[in-house]
Amino acid sequence: MRTSIREFATSDWRRFRRSRLAVVGVGVILLFALLAAFAPYIVTDPTQIEMRREQDGQTLRPPFPPNRLNLFGTDQLGRDIFARVVYGLRTSLIVGILVRGISMVAGVLLGLISGFFPRYVDDLIMRFTDIMLAFPVILLAMTVTAVLGPGLVTVCVALALVAWPDVARLVRGQALSIRGQTYVEAARCIGAGSWRILLRHVLPNCMGPIIVAFSMGIPGAIMYEAGLSFFGFGIQPPTPSLGSIISDGRGYITVAPWYPGFPGLVLTILVLSVNLVGDGLIDVMNPRAALGMQNSRSAT
Amino acid sequence: MLGYSVRRLIQIVPILIGLVTVLFALLNILPGDPARMMAGPFADPDVVKTIREEMGFNRPLWVQYLDNLGNLARGEFGRSYQSRRPILRDLIEVFPKTIQLAVAAEVASALVGIWLGVIAAARRNGWADRLIMTIAALNLSFPLFWLALMLQIAFAVFLRLLPPSGYGIGFDRFIILPAFTLALPSLGLLARITRAALLEVMAEDYIRTARAKGLRNALVMRRHMLPNALIPIVSTIGTDFVRLLGGIPIIEVIFAWPGIGKYAYDALVFRDLPALQASVVVLAVSVSLVNLAVDLLYAYINPRIRYV
Repeated sequence: MRTSIREFATSDWRRFRRSRLAVVGVGVILLFALLAAFAPYIVTDPTQIEMRREQDGQTLRPPFPPNRLNLFGTDQLGRDIFARVVYGLRTSLIVGILVRGISMVAGVLLGLISGFFPRYVDDLIMRFTDIMLAFPVILLAMTVTAVLGPGLVTVCVALALVAWPDVARLVRGQALSIRGQTYVEAARCIGAGSWRILLRHVLPNCMGPIIVAFSMGIPGAIMYEAGLSFFGFGIQPPTPSLGSIISDGRGYITVAPWYPGFPGLVLTILVLSVNLVGDGLIDVMNPRAALGMQNSRSAT
Repeated sequence: MLGYSVRRLIQIVPILIGLVTVLFALLNILPGDPARMMAGPFADPDVVKTIREEMGFNRPLWVQYLDNLGNLARGEFGRSYQSRRPILRDLIEVFPKTIQLAVAAEVASALVGIWLGVIAAARRNGWADRLIMTIAALNLSFPLFWLALMLQIAFAVFLRLLPPSGYGIGFDRFIILPAFTLALPSLGLLARITRAALLEVMAEDYIRTARAKGLRNALVMRRHMLPNALIPIVSTIGTDFVRLLGGIPIIEVIFAWPGIGKYAYDALVFRDLPALQASVVVLAVSVSLVNLAVDLLYAYINPRIRYV
């Protein structure tokens, strides 16, 4: 129910481990993270162009189908798709964690303030949250990147901007229910200030739902980044992104189905793994508190 | 109930004003001169100047903002830079097509999703249950744009069963692929919710009573279990419809479906700001209305809830 990080680390790991799928998810994410982190030592240069290849006395033109050298085949310039996908994973993971990190900090802070400070502060923040929630998410994100100019940083800003209101609402609800608790009253009686109570008493006690919300929001961020890049509003080449690789491969659907196929498959596996971990975390934490997050995920 | 509805409708107004304000602030940082955009790249500087004065781009920002709000309040969306037609006429043309697609997708996912959920619950822990639940979890993890692309390849390029993209009149073959793509993630979610709700009801005493009096399994399901499991299912359909409206621009662009999502996307690409603003407003209003409808429907199914 009320779980601090330390308690989670010790006692709940056993409960988490009981869900085999969640452990598989953790494994896959670790594998992907290692691949992405050590990409230069594992895969070939993703920008290496190869316009012709001799095989059995024949001259072949790219895109080459999957073979011994190219696990996922190559694109129209003979660049290794596996290498590009691994570098794309790098972008996905960075964006996923960065976006979720920023939106969580903003959402948690505004949610805590909203649930704890006087009525007019609460009203102000919540009405602003309503406004942001009313926007069609993908259009707002596209508009922001169009305004700021596409790129890794702007994509993160745009996605964090659309992701924080959900978190703020969740945390506000938690803070509202905690502020009436006896220990908050007790802390106030011994003269603790509002900020001290918020950070030392309220925040640690809504850590469970916050951890779940963090993990549940990552798939959305990853998919929105891929979606934005797919439509040309996201990461710009030469920075590789799974979305833009799939977009490049669109034109080669009939001659090289592996080109858009494999990057999408890897993206799906990544998102699925994070979802599985999220499900496992919900089982460990208070399931009721996290229920609200279940529907808000995966809109791209 | 009526009072509640009216109050909810009134609450939409300040949200819309906020929405327009945020959008206006965002769009005015956009690089690019709208007058030049309308005139075209090779236009005479005098023409650009005339357009700028005609459209009022030379006025101070706060005048433009207030004027903009006033026009919206009177229901005047202005003219599209791109099509040069009144935006209202464009919207009247494109919006029904979006509704058509969204409703088709939601109906399909509700029918199939609930059906799969019923099967999974009836054969709890059997192989059918495991299979359905695995597929449901998978469906939620597919990136929508990639799924669209793959289904396009499979059904239009290789099998040649369906047209890859485009729009036809009425509910014909063109709607099948986009609606199905849009329905797949919802379908998984609904199957999961239905199964969970049914399993909860299954433990109730009245189910044991129904079985004890010798009612056939199918009848127990239809008469006793499904109606009582309906509340979470319906509320999920509601929140899911909102999610579906969020994903619709992606699907409309990929399948060249001429709805409001594609209209907004084109408006953004061509920096057609009034058209973008109008479609965002219309989409936001429809989301609010759907939310209201869901809450009312919720009260209708569950008489214990009363809105005052």
